[in-house]
Amino acid sequence: MKLFKLFLVLSLVVFFTSSNSGLAVITGSAHDFSGQSWNTSGEICLPCHTPHNASATNKPLWNHAVTTASFTVYTNGTIQATIGQPDGSSKLCLSCHDGTVALENFGSTTTGTHFLTSADPEFLGTDLSNDHPVSFTYNTALSTSDGELYDPAVKEVGAAGSGTIQNRWLESDKMQCSSCHDVHNTPGIAKMLRKSNAASALCLTCHNK
Amino acid sequence: MKNKLTMIIVGIILIFFVSLLHSEKISNTKHNLSVSGPGTVKAASESEICIFCHTPHAAAKTPLWNRTDPGQTFTLYSSSTTNATIGQPDGASLMCLSCHDGTIALGSVVSRTSAISFGSVTTMPAGNTNLTKNMTNDHPVSFVYNSALATADGQLQQPASITPPVSLYNTKVQCTSCHNPHENTSIKFLVASSQNSALCVSCHNRTYWSSSTHKTSTKTWNGTSPNPWFHTPWTTVTTNACESCHNPHNAGAVRNMNYAAEESNCLSCHNGNVASTNIQTQLNKTYKHNVAGYTGVHDPTEANIAVTQHVECVDCHNGHASNANAASAPNVKGSLLGVKGVDTDGNNVDPSQYEYQICYKCHSSSSWRPGSPTTRQIAQNNVRLEFDPANPSFHPVESAGPNPNVPSLISPWTTTSKVYCSDCHASDGTSVPKGPHGSTYAQILVKQYVRVDNTSESAANYALCYTCHSRTSILGDNSFREHNKHIVGEGSNCNICHDPHGISSTQGNSTNNSNLINFNTAVVSPSSSGILRFDDQGLYHGRCYLTCHGQNHNPYTY
Ligand code: HEC
Ligand code: HEC
Ligand code: HEC
Ligand code: HEC
Repeated sequence: MKLFKLFLVLSLVVFFTSSNSGLAVITGSAHDFSGQSWNTSGEICLPCHTPHNASATNKPLWNHAVTTASFTVYTNGTIQATIGQPDGSSKLCLSCHDGTVALENFGSTTTGTHFLTSADPEFLGTDLSNDHPVSFTYNTALSTSDGELYDPAVKEVGAAGSGTIQNRWLESDKMQCSSCHDVHNTPGIAKMLRKSNAASALCLTCHNK
Repeated sequence: MKNKLTMIIVGIILIFFVSLLHSEKISNTKHNLSVSGPGTVKAASESEICIFCHTPHAAAKTPLWNRTDPGQTFTLYSSSTTNATIGQPDGASLMCLSCHDGTIALGSVVSRTSAISFGSVTTMPAGNTNLTKNMTNDHPVSFVYNSALATADGQLQQPASITPPVSLYNTKVQCTSCHNPHENTSIKFLVASSQNSALCVSCHNRTYWSSSTHKTSTKTWNGTSPNPWFHTPWTTVTTNACESCHNPHNAGAVRNMNYAAEESNCLSCHNGNVASTNIQTQLNKTYKHNVAGYTGVHDPTEANIAVTQHVECVDCHNGHASNANAASAPNVKGSLLGVKGVDTDGNNVDPSQYEYQICYKCHSSSSWRPGSPTTRQIAQNNVRLEFDPANPSFHPVESAGPNPNVPSLISPWTTTSKVYCSDCHASDGTSVPKGPHGSTYAQILVKQYVRVDNTSESAANYALCYTCHSRTSILGDNSFREHNKHIVGEGSNCNICHDPHGISSTQGNSTNNSNLINFNTAVVSPSSSGILRFDDQGLYHGRCYLTCHGQNHNPYTY
């Protein structure tokens, strides 16, 4: 954990000092808030991370106010997974995307006025029943009981050697927003997806339909 | 930098192939509506496959549904035998109909502001896959299938015993009970193979079916049009099973029958093209049970005594039950198994145990029963009354005859034998299927039975009677000693003196109507003293008061 913190601090530092960083793809992406009026810091990382005084409960070096909303989660008679309240990084995403926390409520700001609203296509709201389920364990057992899911411990996210779903896309075996999205837009794919969904390749990485 | 780019390109190509490998289920099916799909109805350029039905965010409803429901009122399936309460399509069925009712553009999805282009196609093209808003000819969906329904129907599996791949959804039958839209490992996206109707029988447990020839026969089609199995890939009776007669979608008639004309459902095979019994040829004859003459009159729930005149194959046969089992009179043969009827006392029976019980549905007390072709002294056309074992005389249909002395009987017939109605009433000719389907002889008689006065006697003219009654014996006057004189000498036919069915005990008696005596009044008239009567005077003795062929018997005693 110490090591991780060190790495994050380092990369934040590296980013600020080198424009050639691998994280540079966030620049100019939908998550590059450096030019936003509400982001008085003018920085890219700060709305979400801070190298100092970060939230102790929310990794990684989280700087943004975290949602306390209660969510309506996805349910369906046919679903095998047990869907809980959003946790892990999904909760961090929803801290902006549920529309209950102001975008500029990071650092010491607590009284921001810019919210994502239902008029924005990026608004998910607190009703997640119409969104792909997140924050549930997706393991070999689930893939077996569902019958039409790939085994995440075996199935690779791309070509041979690209790593398994479990290692690359899941957080402690859990499906999260980050299973489909790369918040930093690293691969540079539309909608910040981890993998292009052309030919529904993203969906069909997990779903054996 | 160049190297990196090549790596990325190679990576993308690899990912593409890997994703192809992993998407083998839906991607090779017609439900891959993307540009890569194998079907003809597909998007012009959209590459995403799931998008036509699912979206990860802001879905219209579960399961992440990307389409709007058809805001239509559907005309629902209904039939007189339906126990279920069939509602407007809901659940998954409604989702399927958002393409398959033909009202919504195929490319219209919630996650896109404008519909995905399907080239020249907008909504589902007309044809089998477009069910339209008319669901009357499709297997019903969106109804609760609980144990009460199974009990009420009586021929359904208990829902508890229905197991995957067939499933109920919130206790309801939906399109997805039979279809898996993601997978086409069987045919037509079915959850299990329809071969041998395996899918149908996971819910339907038809009485008799297990021993029916329609379940077991391995007969094939001879290739002469029309194809009896036009909606399946199966090539034998047993593999087509239910679908030989039923069509789960776009059916020809209620109860998902293939054809609207009831008999067509049978004759599509019984026309020489599949079944060994070519019934169609028989029905083309002059005298027949005219099944082609009625459409939409027969109903399975109709009273045993048919109220409205009609006849269909299914009035006498139960397609779920029929088999080739043999039987002896009066018991029903395999071909007549599982059919309701009317017993000797006029009570309803289901199923009929005896063949005549089936005939009595129409030929006893129905208001429209066919009349008698002969005008007789005692008129009766309620066949049930004519064969009543309490009658003074009758052909032994219900029980052995009352007369212990019938010297003309040809072995193996004896006075304790019983006969079927269909021993006399059946298709004529050699090697024809049994049963009263059609004959060149009136009354659908199996052989010639001339009823014209002044007929010269011959084996052929009275072939019907001579089948059981020895011509030599009759003409040798073994019983009535004036037989020869009347039949050969006068050219009188059997039918003038004898009433072949019997004389009802409500009208006749054992003195005047023994030996099936009931005169044809078109030929026989009263004697000079105004009496028309036969008196039985013991074995082979009697007395007649009548006038016939100019002869006055007043009386004639023998
Ligand atoms: C919109 C919010 C947001 C912004 C802006 C953002 N991050 Fe992150 N970052 C996250 C979240 C959420 C996680 C944890 C989940 C994940 O890894 O996807 C994370 C994780 C990380 C991690 C640790 C895991 C990893 O991916 O290596 C590092 C390092 C990181 N961010 C660096 C940065 C840097 C540097 C910037 C600025 C250039 C930045 N982030 C901007 C939200 C953000
Ligand atoms: C600090 C607030 C904040 C956090 C935290 C945050 N987002 Fe966003 N995100 C936004 C805003 C604001 C936009 C819309 C930007 C715009 O209007 O262009 C956005 C846009 C997006 C988009 C649309 C990208 C596009 O190209 O259209 C995606 C996808 C997304 N976010 C996913 C995530 C995920 C996943 C997480 C968590 C891992 C996350 N966001 C966390 C604020 C946030
Ligand atoms: C199963 C994969 C998956 C998961 C999990 C997922 N998303 Fe998405 N998300 C997508 C895809 C695919 C798109 C692009 C949809 C499109 O273009 O129609 C998308 C689009 C978005 C957008 C942009 C919407 C727009 O119309 O521009 C946002 C914002 C977003 N996701 C946020 C989230 C957040 C927050 C979570 C977690 C609560 C999440 N996503 C979880 C797959 C996913
Ligand atoms: C990282 C893996 C992953 C990806 C990528 C993914 N899913 Fe899922 N999805 C799952 C898991 C796991 C479930 C839960 C299945 C269960 O519990 O039976 C699920 C559930 C669903 C469900 C709900 C099924 C139900 O029974 O209600 C739908 C619909 C769905 N996904 C569609 C999609 C679509 C469309 C995409 C692409 C945009 C997608 N998924 C991408 C893993 C994934």
